[in-house]
Amino acid sequence: MARFRSLPAPHPIALALLALAASGACGRQTPAPAAPPAPRELVSSIRAEPRGFNRYTGRDSVTETITHLTQARLVRIDRRTQELEPWLAESWSASPNGLEWTLKLRQGVTFSDGQPFTSADVLFSFRAVYDPGVASPIGEAMRVGGKPLAVTAPDPSTVVIRFPSPFGPGIRLLDNLPILARHKLEAALDSGTFAEAWSGSTPVSDIVGLGPFVIERYEPGQRLVFARNPRYWRWDESGKRLPALDRLTLEIVPDQNAELLRLQAGQIDFTQTEVRPEDYATLKAAADAGRITLVDLGVGLDADSFWINLRPGANQARPWLHRVELRRAIAHAVDRQAFADTVFLGAATPVDGALITPGNSRWYATDLPRHPYDPAAAAALLESIGLVDRDGDGVREDGHGADASFTVLTMKGNSLLERGAAFVRDALGAIGLRVDVAPLEVGALIDRIERGDYEAVYFRFLTTDLDPALNMDLWLSSGGAHVWNPLQRTPATDWEREIDRLMHQQAATLDHAKRKALFDQVQRIFAEHVPVLQFAAPRIYVALSTRVANATPALLRPAVVLWNPDRLDVREGKRASR
Amino acid sequence: MRGYLARRVLFAAMLVFLVSSAAMLLTHLAPGDFVSITTGERASPAQAAQERARYGLDRPIVLQYLGWLSRAVRLDLGDSLLYRRPVGTLVRERAANTALLALAALALATLAGLPAGVYSGSRQGAGASVVRGVSLVLLSLPSLVTSLVLVLVAARTGWFPVGGMVSASSTGASLAGWWADVAWHLPLPALALALPLAATLERLQSQAMADALGQPFVLAAVARGVPRRRVVWRHALRASLSPVASVYGYVLAALLSGSFIVEVVTSWPGLGRLLYDALRARDVYLVAGCAAAGSLFLAMGSLVSDLALAWADPRMRRG
Repeated sequence: MARFRSLPAPHPIALALLALAASGACGRQTPAPAAPPAPRELVSSIRAEPRGFNRYTGRDSVTETITHLTQARLVRIDRRTQELEPWLAESWSASPNGLEWTLKLRQGVTFSDGQPFTSADVLFSFRAVYDPGVASPIGEAMRVGGKPLAVTAPDPSTVVIRFPSPFGPGIRLLDNLPILARHKLEAALDSGTFAEAWSGSTPVSDIVGLGPFVIERYEPGQRLVFARNPRYWRWDESGKRLPALDRLTLEIVPDQNAELLRLQAGQIDFTQTEVRPEDYATLKAAADAGRITLVDLGVGLDADSFWINLRPGANQARPWLHRVELRRAIAHAVDRQAFADTVFLGAATPVDGALITPGNSRWYATDLPRHPYDPAAAAALLESIGLVDRDGDGVREDGHGADASFTVLTMKGNSLLERGAAFVRDALGAIGLRVDVAPLEVGALIDRIERGDYEAVYFRFLTTDLDPALNMDLWLSSGGAHVWNPLQRTPATDWEREIDRLMHQQAATLDHAKRKALFDQVQRIFAEHVPVLQFAAPRIYVALSTRVANATPALLRPAVVLWNPDRLDVREGKRASR
Repeated sequence: MRGYLARRVLFAAMLVFLVSSAAMLLTHLAPGDFVSITTGERASPAQAAQERARYGLDRPIVLQYLGWLSRAVRLDLGDSLLYRRPVGTLVRERAANTALLALAALALATLAGLPAGVYSGSRQGAGASVVRGVSLVLLSLPSLVTSLVLVLVAARTGWFPVGGMVSASSTGASLAGWWADVAWHLPLPALALALPLAATLERLQSQAMADALGQPFVLAAVARGVPRRRVVWRHALRASLSPVASVYGYVLAALLSGSFIVEVVTSWPGLGRLLYDALRARDVYLVAGCAAAGSLFLAMGSLVSDLALAWADPRMRRG
């Protein structure tokens, strides 16, 4: 290379003569046609094989990501602003009581195979999602108070949706429902084989949709390749049909370390997951060198959570495990800033609230009871419930002389969870509680949680929706995700009864300000009784190659980048194929 | 010979039956099941029960096992719960990829390990010490570390693709082009598998060569004035191959069934990765299918091992 650089620059006239001679030598009398532009193509990665292509039967994040690429919904929630935006429905109106919504569908929209999209497809989608034989994982999210919505179609471009009761989020819940092609799937639904439809062995040409891409090919174990849907119905401001990309490839890379190396080597343009704290320094150096772009999305939506088993009958030999004073003592015993610095290597914000982090700014309550780091206050709380170090061995004993000890289960192999659990163990050891940490393989851990066979757990909730009314199974005492004491027939405590009442009321309230005030009350009660403790919420960074243009990453998983795929583009000047 | 082969085939069938049955039953007995792991906390108990009924996981283990067994004897391994595809198809696809990787790794390991073992077993001095030292280092490195280091080198240098089996651009290429692309992707995972194996073969061969050089017939050849090179490579080598040959088939089987870490790190779409995914999801049918393929490889490997031993040691042929 150095030799070529040392050559003197050729004279422009000499270059022109050379070019003329070359064109004559080739015998061309007309200028050569311009080379076709390089395809606009990006490569991303997924960590697991798709389990199918049907979101109505697939719970996994890969299926959900693929759905963002290949399907469309009636309305969409902008993941950055949380605002509702028209999608397949271009407008809507609500009855004064908020029970009946009339949606006007876009005209002239067709599926990727050319078949027209009509209200019949919407009716079919609702039929499929509520079909008991399908048992769709999104079926629960499409019910209000456990009851389905009633949907009718007065004409091919109008849909009327009637809610069984007033519902605060209104038609925001339609963001959960990709609209499926009736002409492709109705036979499977009628014959009871819908659950098997659009599996991994279905020819990809059979999978059609209203999304910006179609599946061009699926190479098991290796990749999924998506081509632009030439019939996609959205256009950009300059009048060009979207999507901007010609092709998008999702490489299947199971190992996160290998995924990171591929990103650094320029073989993939972005991943589906945020940057791990331990990878931040490496990627920051790459960003400083101009090789990648590091996007700071702010405080994450999910913080690792600690809770004690409060089911009736659990921990009978140690009734003090059910006392609120113990939970408050634990909340005071953990130095949250030190936790953030140690567990997340500084890339986290201390949190002390009610499962809603500052990342969910629309619902986050700022004036909650807090539990500042105060070991003396923690010790006093423990003494108030009879936990005293009577023999001077550094471990407190209960009234029967038994050591104040318990076991915390966490997930094996997840370094953040293991580090977090170890930090809590050490913090509680400092106030005289002996804690054993037992990391379990994820299957065993979930099994123990489901059976209620544990004393305490340190694990992570994943936020599936930012609106609390769409996460009722966590807040209600009867909910399956009310982890510390799930599926209660009647609320076990007065404060849970009050939370139930407030949650039902806010879900049925249409005015957002009133809903927020009600949910603030819920958070306040939660923060007073701390059934679940959180210590720090990670700061979320997403790494993109410098080739990526128009990316709008957002906090809500799983498709942090691909939730908005139709505007993704390749930066001008970086379109050469890799 | 025919009777011997019949016994080996019967042994292979028994091995496959026992291993796949044990894999299926042990996966059943492990905490959690496919539904609880794939739905986590997100499914209500009613939904979870419905999904268990759909997959037949609500039936007693014995009935599930007998149902699977009755299909398996007709070579129908059922459908994967995870991928909703026939297990037989999934296993065949991936086993071929793993076999390709394992054979490439075995060839590399043999080409490097055996000559190195002959060298270190027949010489004294600094060169032999270096060979022994390198082998010990490679043997002590876990596969995960070896794989990650190689992936890192590939990422930094660009000498090889960082992972995968073929490039996205190879679709539509000619058969020769496709194979050239596979050959371009193969060195990284093959080397990750081959390096510790080469070290193992070196250590075995080194010891066997040292023993062989002390045998009376070799000493006699030396006394007769046969050149040292000829003594080592002609007389001692063949006699020293028995220990290596006796483990060769098992090494091959271990490669085929034990390459999952390398496959995960290098994104090689093989059987090991499939088994890993199946175990994590408690996909009992897929676990059983992968275990059946692995045990079949083991049976074939032991057969190859016996044949290689018979070739290397005439006494074995005489029985």
